[in-house]
Amino acid sequence: MNGLVTLAAAAGEVKGGEAATFYLLAPIAVICAIGMVWARNAVHSALFLVVTMLCLGVFYVLQAGPFIGMVQIIVYTGAIMMLFLFVLMLVGRDASDSLIETLRGQRMTAVLLGLGFAGLVATGLYRALGNLDSVGLTQANSVHGGNVPGIAALLFTKYVFAFEVTSALLITAAVGAMILAHIEKRPDQKIAQPERMRARFAPDNYPGPKPGPGVFANSTSVATPAVLPDGTQSERSMSKILPQRELTAAEAAPKGTEHQ
Amino acid sequence: MDDKLTQFGQDVWWLVLAKVLLVFVFLVLMTLFAIWYERRVVARMQVRPGPNRVGPAGLLQSLADGLKLAFKEDIMPKMADKAVFFIAPVISTTCAFTAFAVIPFGPTVSVFGEKTPIQLTDVPVAVLLVLACSSMGIYGIVLGGWASGSTYPLLGGLRSSAQMISYEVAMGLSIVAVFMTAGTMSTSQIVDAQKDTQTLTLGGFDLTVPGWYAFLLIPSFLIYAIAAVGETNRAPFDLPEAESELVGGFHTEYSSLKFALFFLAEYINMVTVSGLATTLFLGGWRAPWPISLWDGANQGWWPLLWFTIKVLLLLFVFVWLRGTLPRLRYDQFMRFGWKVLIPLSLLWILTLAGIRVVQGSDLTVQARLAVVGGPILVALAIWMFWPDKRKAIEDPGVHGVDAAGRIGGTEGFPVPPLNLEVPVSPRAQRVLGERETVSTSKES
Amino acid sequence: MTTDIAAETLKLPSLDYAALAPMLILFGVGCVGVLVEAIAPKKARFPVQLVLAVLGIAASLTAIVLAAGTEKVTAAGAVAVDGPGLFLQGSIAVLGLVALLLISERSLERGGAFVAQAAVTANSEADRDQATRGSGATEVYPLIIFSLGGMMLFAAANDLLTMFVALEVFSLPLYLLCAMARRRRLLSQEAALKYFLLGAFASAFFLFGIALVYGYAGRVDFAGIHAAVLDSPNDIALLYIGLAMVAIGLLFKAALAPFHVWTPDVYQGAPTPVTALMAACTKVAAFGGLLRVLYVAFERSQWDYRPVLGAIAVLTMLVGAVLAVTQTDIKRLLAYSSIANAGYVLVGVLAISKAGLASSLFYLVAYGFSVLAAFGIVTLVRDADGEATHLSRWAGLGRRSPLYATLFTFLLLAFAGIPLTSGFTAKFGVFAAAIEADQTWLVIAGVITSAIIAFPYLRVVVMMWLSEPGESTPAVSLPGALTAAAVTIGAAATLLLGIVPQPLLDMTENAAHFVR
Repeated sequence: MNGLVTLAAAAGEVKGGEAATFYLLAPIAVICAIGMVWARNAVHSALFLVVTMLCLGVFYVLQAGPFIGMVQIIVYTGAIMMLFLFVLMLVGRDASDSLIETLRGQRMTAVLLGLGFAGLVATGLYRALGNLDSVGLTQANSVHGGNVPGIAALLFTKYVFAFEVTSALLITAAVGAMILAHIEKRPDQKIAQPERMRARFAPDNYPGPKPGPGVFANSTSVATPAVLPDGTQSERSMSKILPQRELTAAEAAPKGTEHQ
Repeated sequence: MDDKLTQFGQDVWWLVLAKVLLVFVFLVLMTLFAIWYERRVVARMQVRPGPNRVGPAGLLQSLADGLKLAFKEDIMPKMADKAVFFIAPVISTTCAFTAFAVIPFGPTVSVFGEKTPIQLTDVPVAVLLVLACSSMGIYGIVLGGWASGSTYPLLGGLRSSAQMISYEVAMGLSIVAVFMTAGTMSTSQIVDAQKDTQTLTLGGFDLTVPGWYAFLLIPSFLIYAIAAVGETNRAPFDLPEAESELVGGFHTEYSSLKFALFFLAEYINMVTVSGLATTLFLGGWRAPWPISLWDGANQGWWPLLWFTIKVLLLLFVFVWLRGTLPRLRYDQFMRFGWKVLIPLSLLWILTLAGIRVVQGSDLTVQARLAVVGGPILVALAIWMFWPDKRKAIEDPGVHGVDAAGRIGGTEGFPVPPLNLEVPVSPRAQRVLGERETVSTSKES
Repeated sequence: MTTDIAAETLKLPSLDYAALAPMLILFGVGCVGVLVEAIAPKKARFPVQLVLAVLGIAASLTAIVLAAGTEKVTAAGAVAVDGPGLFLQGSIAVLGLVALLLISERSLERGGAFVAQAAVTANSEADRDQATRGSGATEVYPLIIFSLGGMMLFAAANDLLTMFVALEVFSLPLYLLCAMARRRRLLSQEAALKYFLLGAFASAFFLFGIALVYGYAGRVDFAGIHAAVLDSPNDIALLYIGLAMVAIGLLFKAALAPFHVWTPDVYQGAPTPVTALMAACTKVAAFGGLLRVLYVAFERSQWDYRPVLGAIAVLTMLVGAVLAVTQTDIKRLLAYSSIANAGYVLVGVLAISKAGLASSLFYLVAYGFSVLAAFGIVTLVRDADGEATHLSRWAGLGRRSPLYATLFTFLLLAFAGIPLTSGFTAKFGVFAAAIEADQTWLVIAGVITSAIIAFPYLRVVVMMWLSEPGESTPAVSLPGALTAAAVTIGAAATLLLGIVPQPLLDMTENAAHFVR
């Protein structure tokens, strides 16, 4: 479908498919945009944004900009939003918005002003663009033989300086990421393999892995210590944050022995 | 350039439907076959028979497994985010299927009087479409991991998002060289561009090389092949589902049909990257050299066969890798992607662009050699004469190790040698080795 | 091989390398600086980076001087090299060099004003450890160089797209630099985050505005927009909304009310040398961009935007002056002062005349030198916990160190616009230009607010001289050679531009012609 629509649009004709796709996706895009603002869960919010961006990407394709549409999907939805999600997931699923307003009435004012601004821009744009026909698409596509070469031509002729300067932006971003995220260890903080081995085999350290908890062996709770071969319970088998408890008789009895 | 693409998007509705069906059936069959194929090949490598009970040579094994999977209990974990948990495998599978829409299977054929190419569709940015689908497919894995509401899947999901984004960069960069050479991003035209054989003149010899970009752009092909393995989460890069660390990774909590969908998506992704590799680097559906001498090789429905064979050969490489290589450690893997593959890709693109500029200029042969060879010589010289700053390796011996190789006296633990020298076999000296009881009571 | 067609038809536009050299040199030096970070051993980085940066800016300045008198549009219409552009680039280079001296000072505090590793969690064990021993991060040098290069491009950009890229190039390093204070790191990080979020918001407005202006004019280059303002068949609403949004982006960077709210927080939280850089150079660049947009692209719609921007100028001056009265922190006070000063510059800009352009250019340079010197002195007044910025701590400073108190008093008087300082000449220039252009109401507002804002300045002066030094009055550290040089240059320029402003006035007068 994508391809058919693209070609139709690239040829400069408006077919029913284009309109149908638009009217199908436009409500989804708007609803998801609203959902992004309203969703309490940050991950859901991000997902709504992903859908909106995906719809925008398809709109670009519809508007005979297949390259920018695909790049929108690959870069924004694929990479940037994915990194967003990455961070949100690490922050944790329970982190939702706090409902306490630090500035009184700020939320209401923001909503009113936002709606007012949106209304202003929307009516202005509708008045200006409401009945405007697009022109020059075929001509723009024919100069360099298509959408992709056309963009390439613009990038490397008219906007070549801006394009090159963007590299400064990218370098800055990379340096910035290093500065804000990378911690360089001092040489004396690095622990080499021999050091680790020495610590591991030092006389008072048990070098093997810790035994697992007694889950399923005795009970289904991770708060159950494992039983060592000599019958003693191993404290090392349990996480330190769990409270230790005595096993009930039923729990202590080996499983599957009741019937005998 | 776009005029060649006008043959697409003109089909009648039943033909479009038939093509969609063809792609779907092809992918599902390939998946069923690939699972059996993988199990058989790995089994052969490990000197065992593999599945051989269901159907002839066990061919129906994966079908039976699939049916069984569908009838299993569908477990919804208590902590799961239900909507997302449900939708994640769907995203994965949808994206996997969509990507194949632009892969060309063959030339124009005649079906019931309609002339049409054996390819669902093609667009000027077809290869980007495949990349977009693969980048959207990651969402399935990441969301599946997150929505399960438990730790291992979350870690698996995070790993895979980091991994696939990283390797997608390398993959995209490796494809850039193809775009530069072919001058197009449409898959059918890239196949077209590999039609002719190239004649290379090297030191007076005329070498005839097939126009396959796998030969012309070897670095790109190698980088693509490596990145593709990373992109599909296959061994040795299958860290998102490293069972020794993460149980099942992102799909730990999945069962029944949802799991089957993930499973399907993984194998379709393998087929897709193989199909894309075939299209971009191995001449697409065109027959390889000895067969191409036959005039009819590239006409009619035959190319479908060549295409499938090429894809199967690439799938064999996937299986081969899995049967041969151990899994990488995560940090090594990421370092490899960012510090080796991506810089190499960039360097190669730069070199290629340089070569193209020299080709396009009106320089003499000597000048061209100087321009191309000069930097290479300089780089080699720098590499050769770069001062070796590595310090002499210190004696890595452990202090306090006694003659018996133990630390902490006779009650202590034996220490493995740290200098990586294989010690003399202890049996040579010790006539009788007695196993000492290892204390387990040091619990403090 | 299907094509070489595309490769053959694409011709690189003619690039006038001599005219682009100031920016190219800085971007090149920035890249070299990043490589130095990667290659040079840790101890050698600071001297190498400092020398590299100073040489780079000096070379860039030389290129600007050599290009003086050029009037042309190059790089396929992306960059305009003309009088105002070169003048602004030159002032960015000079002010940047002086700010670089402040930034490089390492004798006031071990390791300089920047944290060694910004990634270490603030107030953790590791953080306390690095606070005492770590020498400041040297990545700041390439960042500053990139930022200065972006500012130069911003002042010379001749289409909205290039302008947007330049805006990002000079903003991004500043966001980062704000987060790198050695002391009060949480405040610094908060400042950086606020600046980044609001800055990104403003950039989005700017970008949206570009899209709408493009919708109206069908072009993004200034000459094209200029032509389209009269001829375009499209609805004029597009132009208005677009211009408003582009203006929002620019007004944000120039810190004009009501887009100023970030300024006090960011100026307070950022390391003081970076605050100085922002107050001097960013202001020059932002007004450079605003001047070019208003004078070159939208000159013909001046009747539409003048009242709105006039109201903004009045609001800015009022907000800056009134809120400055209530401040208790010297850095915040200077921040509000800079907001008010931005309002005065806008008065000059709104004259939309040659005199207005010339006086705005003069004002920017004069203010830049004064504010650099003022922040330079702020870095000196410190105790064991770093800079003592609370105003109460400045009480009785005149007794402790009369020299610096005198200098600071002089600078405050310059901000207030007392004769014989550069502040007077500058204000006189912008007000004269505004009256000439029949914008008397702006001048009236300007004079009233000048009277208001003189109050907080005088309060600081009174506090420094007429209070007894208390227990908590910190001593003024002996400045290192670099800070001393920076303060001296700033104060001397403030004095000279007050007494003999004519050479610079002539220069601005000669430079005040935009190429279209």
